[in-house]
Amino acid sequence: MPQVIIDGQAYEFEGQHKLLQFIQDLGKEVPFFCYHPSMSIPANCRQCMVKVGMYVKSRETGEYEIDDNGNKVIRWFPKLQTSCNVDVADDMVVHTQETDEEVRRAQKDNLEFILINHPLDCPICDQAGECPLQIQTYKYGPEGSRFEVKKVHKPKRVQLGPRVVLDAERCINCTRCTRFTEEISKTHQLTITSRGDKNYPITAPGREFDDPYSLNTVDICPVGALTSADFRFKARVWEMNQTPSIDITNGKGCNIDLWTRDNLVLRITPRFNEEVNDHWMPDEGREAYRIFNENRASKPKQKLDGEQILSSWNNAIATFNEQIEAHDKKDILFVGSPHASVEENYVLSKFANLVGLNPPVFTTHIEKGKGDGFLITDDLAPNTNGSRMLGFNELDEKALKNKVKNAKLVVLLSDHLVDRGVLNADDLDGKYLINFATNNSETTKLADLVIPITTAAEHAASYVNVDRRIQRTLPAKETRYTNRRLDLEMSEGRLDRYGTNFDNWVTEDNKVDCLPLWRFITEAANNSGLDLALTSGREIMEEISGNLASFEGVSYEIMDEQGGIQLSPDTKTAKTK
Amino acid sequence: MSTVDWKNYEPVLIPDIKDLHKIDVYTKNGGYKAFESVLKDKDKWPDQKSVINEVKEANIRGRGGAGFNAGLKWSFMPPADGKPRYLACNGDESEPGTFKDRKIFEYNPHVFIEGALIAAYAMEITTIYVYIRGEYKVYIDMMNKAIQDAYDKGYIGKNILGSDYSVDFYVHSGAGAYICGEETSMLESLEGKRGYPRIKPPFPAQKGLWGRPTTINNIETLAHVTSVINKGADWFKSIGAENHPGPILYGISGHVNRPGVYELPSGIPVLDLINEVAGGMRNDKELKAVIPGGSSTPVLRADQLEGITMDADSLRTVGSMLGTAGLVVMDEDTDMVDVLWRIAHFYHHESCGQCTPCREGTGWLVKILLKIKNGEGEIKDLDLLLDITTQMEGRTICALADAAAWPVRYTITRFRNEFEARCKKSVHAIA
Repeated sequence: MPQVIIDGQAYEFEGQHKLLQFIQDLGKEVPFFCYHPSMSIPANCRQCMVKVGMYVKSRETGEYEIDDNGNKVIRWFPKLQTSCNVDVADDMVVHTQETDEEVRRAQKDNLEFILINHPLDCPICDQAGECPLQIQTYKYGPEGSRFEVKKVHKPKRVQLGPRVVLDAERCINCTRCTRFTEEISKTHQLTITSRGDKNYPITAPGREFDDPYSLNTVDICPVGALTSADFRFKARVWEMNQTPSIDITNGKGCNIDLWTRDNLVLRITPRFNEEVNDHWMPDEGREAYRIFNENRASKPKQKLDGEQILSSWNNAIATFNEQIEAHDKKDILFVGSPHASVEENYVLSKFANLVGLNPPVFTTHIEKGKGDGFLITDDLAPNTNGSRMLGFNELDEKALKNKVKNAKLVVLLSDHLVDRGVLNADDLDGKYLINFATNNSETTKLADLVIPITTAAEHAASYVNVDRRIQRTLPAKETRYTNRRLDLEMSEGRLDRYGTNFDNWVTEDNKVDCLPLWRFITEAANNSGLDLALTSGREIMEEISGNLASFEGVSYEIMDEQGGIQLSPDTKTAKTK
Repeated sequence: MSTVDWKNYEPVLIPDIKDLHKIDVYTKNGGYKAFESVLKDKDKWPDQKSVINEVKEANIRGRGGAGFNAGLKWSFMPPADGKPRYLACNGDESEPGTFKDRKIFEYNPHVFIEGALIAAYAMEITTIYVYIRGEYKVYIDMMNKAIQDAYDKGYIGKNILGSDYSVDFYVHSGAGAYICGEETSMLESLEGKRGYPRIKPPFPAQKGLWGRPTTINNIETLAHVTSVINKGADWFKSIGAENHPGPILYGISGHVNRPGVYELPSGIPVLDLINEVAGGMRNDKELKAVIPGGSSTPVLRADQLEGITMDADSLRTVGSMLGTAGLVVMDEDTDMVDVLWRIAHFYHHESCGQCTPCREGTGWLVKILLKIKNGEGEIKDLDLLLDITTQMEGRTICALADAAAWPVRYTITRFRNEFEARCKKSVHAIA
């Protein structure tokens, strides 16, 4: 097999590789800025310099030429090479900064150049803490600066579009952002203007950077030149917890990270998953952090004399059971939700089954023409396929409306059907509406009993995306009833670890008074003497995969290991084993 | 060293013929005969390869500055596959001190057009572009006219002169960027993109304009092709220096009595060029320095010039290059600090900004030089300048960083006393 010698160590390889990526895949490092594995290679930052040579083979014999000391003769390339665009070849010898003074020197020189016109305003820069320039300067840069003349001044605080702000002075002209709009989002909205050390990325005159994927440029910007208009100055990155999760704003299920501080989700960034979203996500999905923080349903509410008042959990459980018992089974309608997880929908249907009701119905939330064939889908719900695979009766909006009209007790799982225009107040007139809800809405206003439940940021649960890939979330923020330090799955940031209740940065204020659906249902069932014990998403998924053929082999462990599981596309409907 | 007999040389590119830019005058004086023979004389030119071999044999070293054998470059083109192939003629000519190609555009455009057509035929090229710098508005118009005339006479177009060879010829105007004279960045510009040099490999012969095989030649190089076909490779090789044969268009500017473009054999002594061809120094001043081939080539002190001739080998012995043979002659009154600052300013202004060392380095150089020029520099700044030049050289995609670094390095090392005299006295006493 062909082999390449990197820092004296031989590595075998197959196929085509670029040297920088190859070195990274080995777990080694070469500093770089402009290279991005999902985009073209411009080799313009000149940071990833390495020394490259080839063993010399004799023309006649094909044998390696050997020098006087018995070592193979190496013919070095006349100049240092940028490793990002060098193809790995057989008999190639590479020296990185780990073994070569010349390479170390070149990388240091280059960082000196990059820094001379960089404002060095890390203390007020949002990128600080997660800044490749900052990190690599500390690792490979010069100790000080010999630059004693005036820096170049360029536009600052330029609102490029509704979501992205440019500080051109911080820009190091890696062209990642312009390449992103050319190659990934294909809107061609950004270009580099001007020449030499005066150049910076900008839109065409009079145009806005309103690309639906614009915030990805903020993620890939290796400095703080592009910042998020919404997130900038909100938090330092080291204050936040980073929890892997799934985008629940559309059917694609982009892999994301939730960044939380003091139990508020402050921002959402994409997480790499080659099978789903690569390194990207739509801007809409990032806006969704508000769903987890704002306008949350907190503490149960009950209608008394036509007015919703706060209630207690005991009362809510009692009322829930009373209403189920008080109604004729044929008058009770359970409505599942493509917006809720597989686990939640399963628990609902299991409960319906236990009390002898029909399985829940649901209606999809699809807006034709919204999708773009990339990461935005027509489907606005994260779990449409999951609801289908659980065997729920899929109704169109009209059929659901009729069903509701004929029912007397409607149990609705977090789907804002009134806000969506599927139902209106008249349809619900005279019915008793129990609404499990994460957020307040026009729908919850009409409910007779509102039971607040956890969001995807507060529990572990799975969603099946439009391509029938099942992926799961992890709890990122605490509710009144969870404790970060006791939950093995929850991450703990610096402030969580060292903060106390007396600090102003770790408060009780942002903990929502809500329960996971399965906990409420379990307690309600137990209260009315039914045998049900489902305490976590993990447990429920084990039960689902044991019972339903369409979910066979699914477990949290495998989902975590493989970044989700592709469910077989032919199992359209649920079959009980 | 045998001296080149330049006094009896008869110019072929810019001969003294009135109205040669008109196609009728050009054809009356033997114009388009070379192209016609290449197309029709199957005994002399049995196939395209024979033309390439003749040009390769003539050893026309590329006149754009790099000095690469033109015929050899042509032979890198992959075999024709029926899809488009391009010849891009580089008339961007933006290097300070270089103004030779405009003479061809102005006085004898058809010698270049004919050479380009021969090259295109030899490489089975389907489309020719000539990229002319935007400031040459007049010559762009003239070239358009000349090309139209050649179309009208049937030298360009479909089935040229009854053969089965067809080619199109377009003029493309630059928009004022020096970097677009770099061959790959010129291709980007031709494609309508921002003029950023491309990474090589792939080389243009494999993947050039619109991803198709492309050859890029300088205007003067292609003009020489016409005379090589007319008069033979042996004639071309018999002229001038052995390793860099043929006539060269010398552009002489600066403090001489008769600046201008002169067509003379290569290998002519630099001092002959200044004192005899260009009529000697203006106002009988002393010669101080010469930049031999456009502003990026290292400057030479007057005392280095004795016995040095205008060819790559000879100039290398004193640490300079032939470049584009655009001489800048400077007399004793010239302030080298000002000269270097002006050159550095140019490269700073023209750096495309793609690669870090060039983008940042050119700006740093010019800022320090301005400081020195204003008398605020320190001795340590000179060493810093030299340091920056080493940090820039050889670490970028194209050669602009080198072109910016060399003048700084060599002007400072060759005129260090002048620079030190401009600097503030060191505050540290030297023990």
